[in-house]
Amino acid sequence: MADFTAEVFQNEFLPDGGTDVHAIVRVTSTGASAATASAGLSDPGSAAEVILIDTSGSMGRRGVQAAGDAAKAALAEIVDGTLFSIVSGNGTAQIVYPYSHQGALVPMSAHTRGEANRAIEGLRANGGTAMGTWLTLARQIFETVPYVTKRHAILLTDGVNEGETQASLQAAVASCVGAYQCDCRGVGDQWRVDEVRGIASALLGTVDLIPAPEEMAAEFEAMMRASMSRGIANSELRVWVPQGAELLFVKQVSPTLEDLTSRRTVVNPLTGAYPTGAWSDESRDYHVAVRLPARTLGQEQLAARVQFSLGGDPVAQALVKAKWSNDDSLTTRIDPAVAAYTGQAELATVIQEGLAAKAAGQDDVATAKLGRAVQLADSTGNDEMTTRLKKVVEIDDADTGTVRLKKGASKMDEMSLDTASTKTSRVRR
Amino acid sequence: MTDIPTTGAPQAAPVPAADPATSPTGHPATHPAARPATGPATGLGTAVTASRDCPACGTANPAASSFCEECGADLVVAPRASAVVSGLPHAATPTGAATAPTDPDGAVLTSATPQTAPAGEESPLDVGWTGAVPSAAVVPADDEPTCQACGQGRIVDGYCDQCGTPPPNPRDHLVESPTTWVGGVCDIGRRHARNEDAMSLSASDGPGSRAVLVVCDGVSMATDSHIASLAAAQAARAALDQPFPKGAGTPDAWAAGAGRALTGAVTRANEAVAAAVEDVPNPPSCTLAAAVVEDDVIVAGNVGDSRVYWLPDAADEPATQLGRDDSFAQEQMAAGIPRLEAETGPHAHSITRWLGRDAPEDLTPHLTTMRATPGWLMVCSDGLWNYCSEAEDLRSLLHDASARLDDVTPTTVAQALVDFANEQGGRDNITVALARLAGRGSSTTTEATASAAPVEGDPTDG
Repeated sequence: MADFTAEVFQNEFLPDGGTDVHAIVRVTSTGASAATASAGLSDPGSAAEVILIDTSGSMGRRGVQAAGDAAKAALAEIVDGTLFSIVSGNGTAQIVYPYSHQGALVPMSAHTRGEANRAIEGLRANGGTAMGTWLTLARQIFETVPYVTKRHAILLTDGVNEGETQASLQAAVASCVGAYQCDCRGVGDQWRVDEVRGIASALLGTVDLIPAPEEMAAEFEAMMRASMSRGIANSELRVWVPQGAELLFVKQVSPTLEDLTSRRTVVNPLTGAYPTGAWSDESRDYHVAVRLPARTLGQEQLAARVQFSLGGDPVAQALVKAKWSNDDSLTTRIDPAVAAYTGQAELATVIQEGLAAKAAGQDDVATAKLGRAVQLADSTGNDEMTTRLKKVVEIDDADTGTVRLKKGASKMDEMSLDTASTKTSRVRR
Repeated sequence: MTDIPTTGAPQAAPVPAADPATSPTGHPATHPAARPATGPATGLGTAVTASRDCPACGTANPAASSFCEECGADLVVAPRASAVVSGLPHAATPTGAATAPTDPDGAVLTSATPQTAPAGEESPLDVGWTGAVPSAAVVPADDEPTCQACGQGRIVDGYCDQCGTPPPNPRDHLVESPTTWVGGVCDIGRRHARNEDAMSLSASDGPGSRAVLVVCDGVSMATDSHIASLAAAQAARAALDQPFPKGAGTPDAWAAGAGRALTGAVTRANEAVAAAVEDVPNPPSCTLAAAVVEDDVIVAGNVGDSRVYWLPDAADEPATQLGRDDSFAQEQMAAGIPRLEAETGPHAHSITRWLGRDAPEDLTPHLTTMRATPGWLMVCSDGLWNYCSEAEDLRSLLHDASARLDDVTPTTVAQALVDFANEQGGRDNITVALARLAGRGSSTTTEATASAAPVEGDPTDG
């Protein structure tokens, strides 16, 4: 049985008149992947996987060939007994496997895996790109098995969603929220990071760049292995704040940045729930900010109760506190975890805004934003991000954030910086 | 825990008053049963029914529900309290059988059959019963206390599940009234997060017969000094509770024995502090001020800047501080700087002697013995005298405060002085312990005045 722990990092001391409490809550699960592993074969019907492959014309013969190999690599990782389906998408979406007489999903076995591999061989590149139709078909497939709680999809694309309106894609994504989780991967440099990130973010998945088709297989294998290791579904973060308090935001800050604030569902007037998807043995950090009416010095208050719950039952909780003090040595300290994640969130924001400004031709804005990003990455010792930034800007002075936009920076480097911006480095306690 | 002894005097409670009318909530009025102590006694008999109506929003929930399905309000506390209340009128039969729900949890589960007290143990309240009386029976069980701040929530994990307020720390406001002529109040004040003052009192019933008053003030520069002050106060009081040696029976012999006892009590207190705290670089430490009354003779002593004052009733008899501070301010005053300037200077609160693991070697208290005339003996922390240092001013303050009280007892007067300090800002923890002395010597009009003047015998400075 999986065990969950929650711990809180915060400075609970507020100055006279102070109102805002920030805390990092770290939720750690152990034994979550064992929930599957101990069962040996996955219980038929306990999990379902859908692989969505872009077969638009832009993929080309080579692209579709590589995507097919990637799908096969993913199939190899799917545990026997797991329900699965393969969908090819261009301007519309079609189920490639299982064959129509078998239904929308079949349990994985040596036989079905072989049939699926043969079906993938028949994929051809043709037509446009309308990801909304792919996502909608995936939802319809999952809806045929309402009793399956762990539902996961992998979406692969190589291009811009030009086969449908933006509104149509938004509506499709919205209809899929909560129906399944979806990890998204873009191959090459012709897709739009913000567009695909929007899908992955709404569907509690990850987004990343696959530079070349040949690298798809390894990426798919890793993604599917990660999904298979997740033994816990239907988890949510519940945040209680006292009467009269305002919950400013709830963000996942590690392993990736994800603002959960708008995903609140009401548990009761004081408590909101935020979906956190499926869990393996892992640790995730959440940044919770609460605004309280200031109390008099010396008073104490519970600012938030953060619970991790499975199927509605709390399994771990952390208490975020507030104490008003006139001791400056206590109240001026910023918790290192709060500071680090606040910095990383700002870093992600300025990188994304900087790249967007650069794409829009606003070079002065882009220079300022990316300069600030260089400064933040340097001051926090984020070498990986500094390395990525160096491919996009020439750094004159990291301390002051003085940079010049690099002439002829590759689109791929910019996209790689963009997708990496929301990946945070874990703050050690 | 909430069993703070209450007095008639207004309390400077650190939490907002539990007045539901002023609580910041947009919710409809809470079901009266949720506040059994203030709710009306009638009309509550319908709470135990097949469904559980939510006290917050009125939604009917299945009988087994713990929380409202509509608003999430807790459904257990309200029916539990009202179940007990509703059982009471049944017992108010002419036979006078008393309810004795000795086990609140049992009473909840079997509320339909109220238990009766054995014959001869009926409550006198049953005579002429007119309704439910707030009692221990209607206070929710220990694991589910209601919030004193908002009156709506339950305490879960140490905080109210509605307003987030923790139950008051009993140490934040302590009242002791060991007997009619001795009482004290120890209060957190308005600015500190923790009450690091401690007070320990004992007294025998006969006015002026024997009393021990100890006040300790934790040094705020050290960590966990609240542990030090409590350990010191209790150890000193325990030591001083032992009768003084009678010796030769002369006043001088008594004074010598009392002085030794007080010095010994300081040593015991210092040992208790050392035993109670960890050996850390900046170890917890505290002051100590103590006064013992034995047959209207006072012996007082202090280490640090907590004080003992003698405030006689007679205007022609001077009010005095017994002993003197071990403080930087005191050293400045000794060098000729005026009291007000010295006590408000930059290092006024730095003390030069204290109890603790890093205490100075010489802990002999500044000792004073004197015979009491009618008046007030006060032991207090700097939380009070910061706002009124001169003994004469303090006497005026005490007399003015007493004049405004309907019921003048040591405890009510101490509370009034604590209120005064809080009104001035309450910048520090405040402790005021008082003994009301009738001055038996003076009442017999013989030897009193001769020996009434304090005699300071301070071995440390000759």
